[in-house]
Amino acid sequence: MSAGAARVVATPAPASAASARAALELRGVGLAFGSSADARKILDDITFDVFQGEILCLVGPSGCGKTTILRLLSGLLQPSSGEIRFEGAAIAGPSRSRAIVFQDYSNALLPWRTVAGNVALSLEARKVPPQSHGEIVSALLKKMNLQGAAGQYPSQLSGGMQQRVQIARCLAQQPKILLMDEPFGALDAMTRQALQDELLQLAAEQKMTVVFITHDLEEAIYLGDRVFVLGSNPGRIIEQIKVDLPRPRSQLETREDWRFLAHRHRLFGLLQGH
Amino acid sequence: MQRFVRGAMLPVLIVLLWEVSSRTGLLQFESLSRPSDILAAGLGGLADGSTLLATWQTFEAALFGLLLAILVGILAGTILGLSATTERIVGPTIEAFRPIPAVAFIPLSLLLFGFGLPMEGMIVTYACVWPILLGTIHAVRGIEPRLNEVARVLELSFAARMWKIILPAALARINVGIRVAVGFALVVAVTVEIIVNPRGLGYSLILAQQSLRVDLMYAQLLWLSFVGYAINAALRNVKVSQPALLVGARP
Amino acid sequence: MKQRAVLLNLGALAFAAGILASWQILSDARVISPIFFPPPSRALSELWARFADGSAWTSIQATSTRMFVGWCCASLLGIVLGAAIGSSRLARDYLEPTLEFVRPLPASAIIPIAILFLGLSNSMSVAVISFGAIWPVLLSSVYGFGSINNRLQEISAVLGLTRREFLRKIAIPSAMPDVLAGVRVSLAISLILAVVTEMQASLPGIGRDIFLAQRSFRSPDLYAGLILLGVIGFIVNFALAAFEKHALRWRNPYS
Repeated sequence: MSAGAARVVATPAPASAASARAALELRGVGLAFGSSADARKILDDITFDVFQGEILCLVGPSGCGKTTILRLLSGLLQPSSGEIRFEGAAIAGPSRSRAIVFQDYSNALLPWRTVAGNVALSLEARKVPPQSHGEIVSALLKKMNLQGAAGQYPSQLSGGMQQRVQIARCLAQQPKILLMDEPFGALDAMTRQALQDELLQLAAEQKMTVVFITHDLEEAIYLGDRVFVLGSNPGRIIEQIKVDLPRPRSQLETREDWRFLAHRHRLFGLLQGH
Repeated sequence: MQRFVRGAMLPVLIVLLWEVSSRTGLLQFESLSRPSDILAAGLGGLADGSTLLATWQTFEAALFGLLLAILVGILAGTILGLSATTERIVGPTIEAFRPIPAVAFIPLSLLLFGFGLPMEGMIVTYACVWPILLGTIHAVRGIEPRLNEVARVLELSFAARMWKIILPAALARINVGIRVAVGFALVVAVTVEIIVNPRGLGYSLILAQQSLRVDLMYAQLLWLSFVGYAINAALRNVKVSQPALLVGARP
Repeated sequence: MKQRAVLLNLGALAFAAGILASWQILSDARVISPIFFPPPSRALSELWARFADGSAWTSIQATSTRMFVGWCCASLLGIVLGAAIGSSRLARDYLEPTLEFVRPLPASAIIPIAILFLGLSNSMSVAVISFGAIWPVLLSSVYGFGSINNRLQEISAVLGLTRREFLRKIAIPSAMPDVLAGVRVSLAISLILAVVTEMQASLPGIGRDIFLAQRSFRSPDLYAGLILLGVIGFIVNFALAAFEKHALRWRNPYS
């Protein structure tokens, strides 16, 4: 079992990345609450790169700080130490180019707007002329399998559909990075699998860079190009693996692949131990 | 602590500015007296017992009206709540009265009862019965049907059913209705006193204004504010379980 | 089932008619005092006469204007102040205790002060109405604007919305249900205070009509006034409820 090493050797960029450029760089990032004397360390010395076009999954037990890392990446939080760079420049605050998909989807949608209206919010923010809204929104809804729901209100939709709407809205931002905070955690198993595959397809089409947080180890291995395991108290990276499973992935075959099982076997103990 | 200081800043500031500008002649208004005078008048009123008497008179009327409203409201609310048919037939007639403000009945009450306690109490009753009635109907409707079935199997009389099962079960929600009603009771009583009835705090307020005892008027106003605030605070601390114990429900 | 609904409605009508009929009979037969409880026929004919000679319309207009002006002032002020206070933690700390102290004061208690400053006038009436009617709107607006879902604020930050855009696209729609609830209560209070100030200061309107009717023992007039008030109260509340339903239709998309 690898100890909580302060610095883990960065794994090489996945071959599938469009280029080996780092979209996000974290160096010695730490977060602590309270005065310096008895500060509570949430995160300790996090260092890694997120490469262009990859799907990076962060797994860890509850409370290990994975959501915190995501919020730091989005700019909603500022680190107490270290720095985070996006395309070379330090992050000052949240930005449209780093879309964040929240776990509590019902809170993240505007209940008084229809599905189309919700997606259009991003277009309005981007100052896209209203005439083009209809077309763009329809295309996005089609991509997320939401055709026909355009005129409905979020309260009329199932959990899975609401989450799709949130993702559609995030895509409408035309982000460079998609940050996802346990997006499928509140959904039933079948919906979860459907959305996983939709995500993979989307990421492949758009060559999206995705940072995906989950507590579900198998989901992480299934989706990711790389998987980082996080330990808690304080949060830190305790293991990084490169997932060498072929793409496109398939729920049935990939999950039965011996490499999948090997990864799972290796990381399972790590999660249990912490 | 910081929040307390911040919250107190505004009133303290106002009082200081007011006092200073009155004394230095900056603020010369017949209708505005000095905080120091107001305090003196207020203490005077308390000392000679007039304020306390007036407060008691207002409370009397409010209590009278409230108790009657509780009686009528709970009884009627239970009957209407238990029988949807009765509610459908009798309801609309009752509902027709709802939009009429209680104060509109002041002249009628005056006609029927003349000046004094009953007249004021009846207006308070009219105003307070609505939240209690509606709260009770809502509460009774929401009682677990299983409990009603148990009552029927045990062949309980209507009175026994009310006392042992319906009331305790509905008490929490009825309580909310009663709380709203208590809020109304004081306001309505004071209003009636200001307009017509020569008793209570409202009357001493308007009397002070009419005899141009401005400092006394402001003092009474502050006292009234304080009383209202105290009652609200007391209400917030009353636990729901206490009434249930009063009615004999097992803890 | 529809048959049953129709039957029940007829039953309700019959019940109401029955009450009126019994009242009529008992009053005519002097079993109940016709001075205190005049037969409905006399109240209605009185009402009819007042509509015929236009005095009813004058009174309705006077009371309604008073009520609306006071209510509008209170609502606008209440929403703007509520939004400002609700969105600022600092403002709440400084202002809330004072507000909490002034709130339980019955609006009618302001009448003596208002008379001192403004005399027995329409402005006194509007001032008192506004003072009383502002509380529900103010408090519900403070709550509504102060409890905007955190996520929505974060999304607004990520999307880079300006303060104005946030207010228009997110804050106001989010606070709308609470604000409208407060506005509804305000309307009821406005009507009550309109009647109160009319009675107190003898200002033209239905309130004064009822008051004067009692003075001269003309009870049919008194009841006519009550009926008018009931009708006004009902119409106004109904209209507002319909508006609320439309504005908040996203809450119940199935109904």
